[in-house]
Amino acid sequence: MYRVDFFDAKIIEGTTTSIVLDNGNIKEVSENYTKGAGVRALSRGSWGYTSVDGDFDLNKAIGAASELAVGMDERSPKEKVDILDISKPVARNMPHVRIDPRDISLEEKVKLLKEIGNRAKIDGISSTSAVYSESSYKVLYTDSTGIEGEYELMRTGFAISAVASREGMYQAGRESRFGVTGYEIFEKHDAFKLAESAARTALELLDAKPAKGGNMPVILDPELAGVFAHEAVGHASEADLVLEGSSILENRIGQQIASPLINIIDDPTLHEYGFFPFDDEGTQSQKTVIIRDGVFDSYLHSRETAAKLGGQPGHCRAQGHAKPIVRMSNTYIDNGNSTLEEMLEEIRNGVYLIGSRGGQVNTGEGVFQFNAEKGYLIENGKLTSLIRDVSLSGKTLEILNNVRMVGNDLTLNSGRCGKGGQLVPVTDGSPHLMVSEALVGGA
Amino acid sequence: MMMYELARKGLKAAMEEGADEAEILLVEDHKTSVDIRKNEIEGAKENISQGLGIRAIVNGAVGFASTNIISHIEDAARSAVRSARVRERDPDWIALPSASKYPEVSGVMDPELEQMELDACLLQTVRMIEGAGTVPGVIVTSGSFSRSYGKRLIMNTNGVEVEESSTGISGFADVITTKGDVSTAYDFAISRNNDLDFAAIGKNAAELARSSQHGISIEPQRTDVILHPFAFADLLGSTFIPSIDADNVQKGRSNLKGRIGEQIATERISITDDGLLEGGIDTSRSDDEGVPSQRTEVVKDGIFRSYLYDTYTAGKDNVKSTGNASRGSYFSTPSVGPRNFIIDYPGLDVIADTDKGIYVNTVIGAHTANAISGDFSVEARNAFTIKDGQIDKPVRSLMISGNIFEMLTSINGAGTDIRKVGGIITPSVRIPGMSVVG
Repeated sequence: MYRVDFFDAKIIEGTTTSIVLDNGNIKEVSENYTKGAGVRALSRGSWGYTSVDGDFDLNKAIGAASELAVGMDERSPKEKVDILDISKPVARNMPHVRIDPRDISLEEKVKLLKEIGNRAKIDGISSTSAVYSESSYKVLYTDSTGIEGEYELMRTGFAISAVASREGMYQAGRESRFGVTGYEIFEKHDAFKLAESAARTALELLDAKPAKGGNMPVILDPELAGVFAHEAVGHASEADLVLEGSSILENRIGQQIASPLINIIDDPTLHEYGFFPFDDEGTQSQKTVIIRDGVFDSYLHSRETAAKLGGQPGHCRAQGHAKPIVRMSNTYIDNGNSTLEEMLEEIRNGVYLIGSRGGQVNTGEGVFQFNAEKGYLIENGKLTSLIRDVSLSGKTLEILNNVRMVGNDLTLNSGRCGKGGQLVPVTDGSPHLMVSEALVGGA
Repeated sequence: MMMYELARKGLKAAMEEGADEAEILLVEDHKTSVDIRKNEIEGAKENISQGLGIRAIVNGAVGFASTNIISHIEDAARSAVRSARVRERDPDWIALPSASKYPEVSGVMDPELEQMELDACLLQTVRMIEGAGTVPGVIVTSGSFSRSYGKRLIMNTNGVEVEESSTGISGFADVITTKGDVSTAYDFAISRNNDLDFAAIGKNAAELARSSQHGISIEPQRTDVILHPFAFADLLGSTFIPSIDADNVQKGRSNLKGRIGEQIATERISITDDGLLEGGIDTSRSDDEGVPSQRTEVVKDGIFRSYLYDTYTAGKDNVKSTGNASRGSYFSTPSVGPRNFIIDYPGLDVIADTDKGIYVNTVIGAHTANAISGDFSVEARNAFTIKDGQIDKPVRSLMISGNIFEMLTSINGAGTDIRKVGGIITPSVRIPGMSVVG
């Protein structure tokens, strides 16, 4: 029917409700209903892709994508692309939603969010904001090889931020928790306490000193170390980046690239924010070890990259009905056996970097830069002055090799990861890490 | 015609459900893009998208709903009313914008782009690869071409009815060296008209990657730093622009609160927010809630003149909206956003005018800046030393840090190399005594 070698479609339909609170007032209550399909077609080495919204005709969309693929192949023919065959996925190991948020009235959610906002409004805090969101959607996947799968997933979560100001200086504290769960997320996480904690961070930072830059030993808290695992190592192990020549991890499989203390894992089967039962090309999800005892073990693959490089697919995701690309899910550095106290004792003098305000990485050159939320100077094995506007930068492989101690206190944080203009839910995490030398940037 | 009927149907459903006022934004967009992966064309994409967003106001409370299922417009209208009912009256709410006369704009709709065929799209994409290919030992790792054609209708129950069509084209190329020292770079360009030089995008990126090879290390120091338009626009977007957003100001999240009329920058700088610029990326007859577009002086000769307002924040300050309501998409409610944001500073050959310093092409991590205090600490990419008025040696790894507000008062030179970086239009600028850590 279609003159192509392969096609597939992801159909997604769902509802999102969000409430935004700003300085104690509801700023926005909104509902979104969405339905759409993303269709890919492959003709020899060329991809065609079509996305359609709303009330669409799937056959017409497959026809349009096929026409694009064939057209591209005729105009710029190139080496054939293979798509790995997979077995039919099963929506197993689904998270159990105990309290369906759709059974809770909008009024009750508004009331709860207002109370959360109030808790952040402590003395010295000049403004607060809080967000609640829930989304429930159904995904259907089908391809030209006969693979089919279907699942429904619920995601809920909340975020709080508080700003403290004094004499023209402003500092912010933030907390957020998102998961593949129902309204019981408010039982798992104490949103009131987190609101107070965001406010306290903002207040503390008013009295923090600007950091002094330079090369020094550092301890990374689980949040910042998790961001490092995701941004610097996770992205570089995405096989699409490897194939386009944008990864320092190209041709590194089997090599010792990190301290033997380091194990980095991506596991979409965990019931965390990055969970999925099968990915957006129908591959059953499974745990992937990226680095085992310091040795680079595996890239993250799609069906296309796995066919090309050898490996297991299962890491190809799309935002909504966009074109799926290789992505992470729940990425973490696994536990070691040190404690923070032992690290402080060992490091003697350096900087303890806490939390993350985001960062960026150049996977091709293997360099990165992350801003910590705050830090402490470490003097004679003790945490002393609080410091602000502090960042960590350097070369990914150097940091991996400079890890001297890995903590036993793995913690995961939820967030959204952007790549190719698409955002997908992920978590990243780590225990505390002690690094013998890293470049700390200051103001 | 179909769009108008649909919008009227939605407004009617909202009013019948009990709304006092209602507004519909309807968009249709057709985008074609071609992707490059490792010097080859990977494939083509067609995105046909549509959607609508409805604001319904009940007793001074605003509710919102959106959908891309056009046949669900009446359900969405009722859902917006339901959302409004769970909120209490907002004492700051005045009204949706009223019917207005709209200015004409030019250079935003190019029939060539509307009708562009796949062959032409492909040809431009190939030009980027060929442009990069003129520099030996460099390939395009990823890149893309895109062209789009879209329509937007805003209609509300206060008589606003404004429809616009527009086109756009863009290209970007990420490149890497394949021989010797590994170095990367990127370039991009965007326009409303079919006037981009795609070969130059590939070539510029490739030359930059090649000249960045074999970078040296430098000692931490304070020195003159020249920021390329890409780097400066990135920093402005993450620090200064949020500070003039009236919403942030009203909520105590801006360093510029209460500072209208103050000297906040060197007197040689003027900054204009211009919704009417010919061919501008953010040019249109109205903003995203139907307020006529205008030019707003933000900074004139270093004096701070105006915040940017949408209708809601303008109502709070008892002023007129500056036409800065902005929505990322039909599923977002309006908030304050810049239009074409133009930085004006007398230009000269700023590199030749600099004895010693650092030239920075791009930065990574600008979004991690502290938007309120203006402090930033970012990684400089494709940086070079400047010696005796000339670009000298590439620098391998460099952190630059500073404060945007201090920078604006200390800028002491700008180039003649004005670039459209999305909606931000700026030359390169020179900042004396910036902290750099190599």
